[in-house]
Amino acid sequence: MTVCGIFRAMTLRGIFTAACLTAALTAQVTDRQLHEANSANWLTYNGSYDSRRHSALKQVNVSTVDSLVAKWVFHVPNATALQTVPIVADGVMYVTQPNEVYAVDARTGRQIWEYHRVPARQKGPNRGVAIWRDKVYFTTPDAFLVALNAASGNVVWEAKLAEASDGYWSPAAPMIVNGKVIAGSAPGDHGLNGFLDAYDATTGERLWRFNPIPKPGEPGSETWAGESWKAGGGNTWLTGSYDPDLNLLYWGIGNPAPDFNGDVRKGDNLYTESVVALDPDTGRLKWYFQFTPHDLMDWDAVEIPVLVDATYEGKPRKLMAHADRNGFYYLLDRATGKFLHGSPFVKQLNWASGLTAAGRPILVPGVEPTLMGTKVCPAAIGAANWMSPAFSPDTGLFYVVAQEGCGIANKSTETFRPGGFQYRATGDVEVRDDTWKVYVRALDLTTGKLMWEQERIGSTGFGGGLLSTAGGLLFSGELNGEFVALEAKNGKALWHFYTGQRITASPITYAVNGRQFVAIAAGSDIMSFGLLK
Amino acid sequence: MKPILFAVLLGAASLVAQPPKPSNPLGDAPAVAESGRLLYNRSCTSCHGPDGGEGARGPALDFAGRRYFRVSEAAIFDVIKNGIPGTAMPASGLADNDAWRVVAFIRNIRATASDLVVPGEEQNGMAVFTGVGGCSRCHMIRGQGGVLGPDLSSIGAQASLNRLRDALTKERSIPNGYRPVTVTTLKGEIFTGVARNSDAFSLQLLEESSKLRLFDLSEVRSAVFSKQSLMPHGYDKSLSKTQFQDLLAMLSRQTRTKVKATLQGENEVGR
Ligand code: HEC
Ligand code: HEC
Repeated sequence: MTVCGIFRAMTLRGIFTAACLTAALTAQVTDRQLHEANSANWLTYNGSYDSRRHSALKQVNVSTVDSLVAKWVFHVPNATALQTVPIVADGVMYVTQPNEVYAVDARTGRQIWEYHRVPARQKGPNRGVAIWRDKVYFTTPDAFLVALNAASGNVVWEAKLAEASDGYWSPAAPMIVNGKVIAGSAPGDHGLNGFLDAYDATTGERLWRFNPIPKPGEPGSETWAGESWKAGGGNTWLTGSYDPDLNLLYWGIGNPAPDFNGDVRKGDNLYTESVVALDPDTGRLKWYFQFTPHDLMDWDAVEIPVLVDATYEGKPRKLMAHADRNGFYYLLDRATGKFLHGSPFVKQLNWASGLTAAGRPILVPGVEPTLMGTKVCPAAIGAANWMSPAFSPDTGLFYVVAQEGCGIANKSTETFRPGGFQYRATGDVEVRDDTWKVYVRALDLTTGKLMWEQERIGSTGFGGGLLSTAGGLLFSGELNGEFVALEAKNGKALWHFYTGQRITASPITYAVNGRQFVAIAAGSDIMSFGLLK
Repeated sequence: MKPILFAVLLGAASLVAQPPKPSNPLGDAPAVAESGRLLYNRSCTSCHGPDGGEGARGPALDFAGRRYFRVSEAAIFDVIKNGIPGTAMPASGLADNDAWRVVAFIRNIRATASDLVVPGEEQNGMAVFTGVGGCSRCHMIRGQGGVLGPDLSSIGAQASLNRLRDALTKERSIPNGYRPVTVTTLKGEIFTGVARNSDAFSLQLLEESSKLRLFDLSEVRSAVFSKQSLMPHGYDKSLSKTQFQDLLAMLSRQTRTKVKATLQGENEVGR
């Protein structure tokens, strides 16, 4: 094998040995590699199973970031607002847009192959691939899971997730756990009941399906009045996390349907707006925690569950940190699902006065969508959304893109129609006054206390997610087009690059032959940066 | 049938727009196309080439990857009946039915292999593909096989029968991404495969083993490209007649992606 140990080369501070002449794809991303949190590769949507988006790479650091320069740009034809998170395996980068996958040389940006799905149903976004052994996996606007040969882009197998004609599709990057591809569904806003599936990564055979909306008689079904479970929503449109030691898969579940009128679905509406912990071997539910029981504001709880081991109240604990779209930051015990702590991470939050000892919101009466319109904060778009948070073990801080703002929320009596139609029963009008602002916020992991914030000045919406590195940096892509490096411990902006396009994706970092790169999708392009020398 | 639906829709639309487009009343069965071929070779080859190829005074009409101005049955019929004013293309004087026969022929030579009934045993063809033909060393069909050559899972819906036959029997120009290359690094390591991409600064090489080798050319002593494709092209001689025909039949039926690439200009009315 002529493959050099790229990770080893990095720990030798980038010393590039003669044995490492070429970057070679071994065509084998192993389970072990997937379990290793940090390496020169970026192998999963959030960089590691614990979804911390924290990289051990530190060639680009607080003192060298000054000389971070653009190395290449890969243009994705006909793309507009890419949300793809590049996956990098041994020098090859995989990026997507709906119906399309591109493999590019991660050092130069030169294309190796492209895959186009035909016919191409127009629906987006697509957030990226998963990789395992010699294949990459992605999901499509027509609700298929497709396995491609990683070296050539040839289709190896396809598995149908659901009926596209019913309105189903899938935007999320799948996840590989022990030889299974975990993939989910969208959208919840059409009254379609979601699912989370596991497929044999080698053959494409479906192994299990978890139904977030329980059927009559199953536990949780008592939380749905009448027949309302039939068009209940609860989709799985982002990627989850995995704890190999506990062998638990954590996945966020989306909103109940109809989004804004709960009159027809009295009850807590389990397991919408929850994080579920599943046995990845069987898909069986081990525990759940519901952030917003009987949600009325489309506050999908799909935001990434971040897994951290830390001391909590004097004891080492396996924790899960989650900043929810509903405005609260939560800390759970991820072995049991027990609620440990919750506090708001936005100032504009008027629908609940706090959380009970069990973590249930204490509702403020009347603050909910009405026929005439009522001001609800956060707005339906949420205090957080799909843009990935990050956690740095070096600073102990949890970083989140936070949206301050309210909406005037209305409800209507719209009824469900099969065939993929919207089933929202109205929505909200965002109050775009001068309180409507986006921030990167650093929260103390265990107390949720705001340690610093950086306003994304000039951005009118979330923009992209975050990346933390051992170089003491936090990378942040702003909707206004700025790609920024903040000092992780205090939020000071140390470096920025104006990409000229709106950024709606999360950054990554990787290394090839001992040289670190930082990459992000901006508008219609993938851009990669490295040190000048 | 699509043409009927089309006519009905157009009928409704004709209140505001163009008159309905006629489609071939004789249909497009192989026998109709064959009678059209005979008529064509009698009336048109003074300018166009035989069997629809390029001629001394007229362009190729077959599936040569060119952009046709006239694609629909109605547009081709119009050209045959009325010629193209201002060019050397004359009105033919063929009777309507004969003109429609020639239309069927021209549409047929532009068809992809999967549109045609190619005689041969598909299963035997697959056995040749994975066996004596050695094709699966370099080509994948439905997830099985090598990666050096293009995936052939949908080749029947993408290529004309002529293109398939030529690929197996003739030296052709090498498409982008398949140029064979041998790279020697500064250290003296030697790698061979196809160059999926290259420029003056880097080269992306795919080895037969499915390994990608990504070179920065500053680390490379030489990159030598071959002018000859890795695709062997004497299969009409190295395989038996039946094996060859079965192989063709099998390839013509590879339509994993069932939608056929629409010809450029499809559905456009003539100039
Ligand atoms: C005198 C020479 C001549 C003869 C005979 C002739 N063609 Fe042509 N044909 C041409 C030329 C030249 C053109 C290209 C005209 C132009 O510039 O667009 C043409 C164009 C065409 C086209 C249009 C191609 C396109 O891309 O749209 C069709 C179809 C065609 N010919 C069919 C026929 C058929 C069928 C016959 C016999 C019935 C025939 N031609 C006989 C010279 C000829
Ligand atoms: C040593 C590798 C190799 C073998 C063996 C091989 N091919 Fe190919 N083939 C290629 C390459 C590389 C290309 C693309 C370059 C070219 O067209 O010259 C190709 C191209 C083709 C094409 C053209 C595809 C198109 O889109 O036009 C067809 C059809 C094809 N091969 C069929 C076969 C069949 C059938 C066999 C076995 C009888 C076979 N090949 C054996 C490497 C190979």
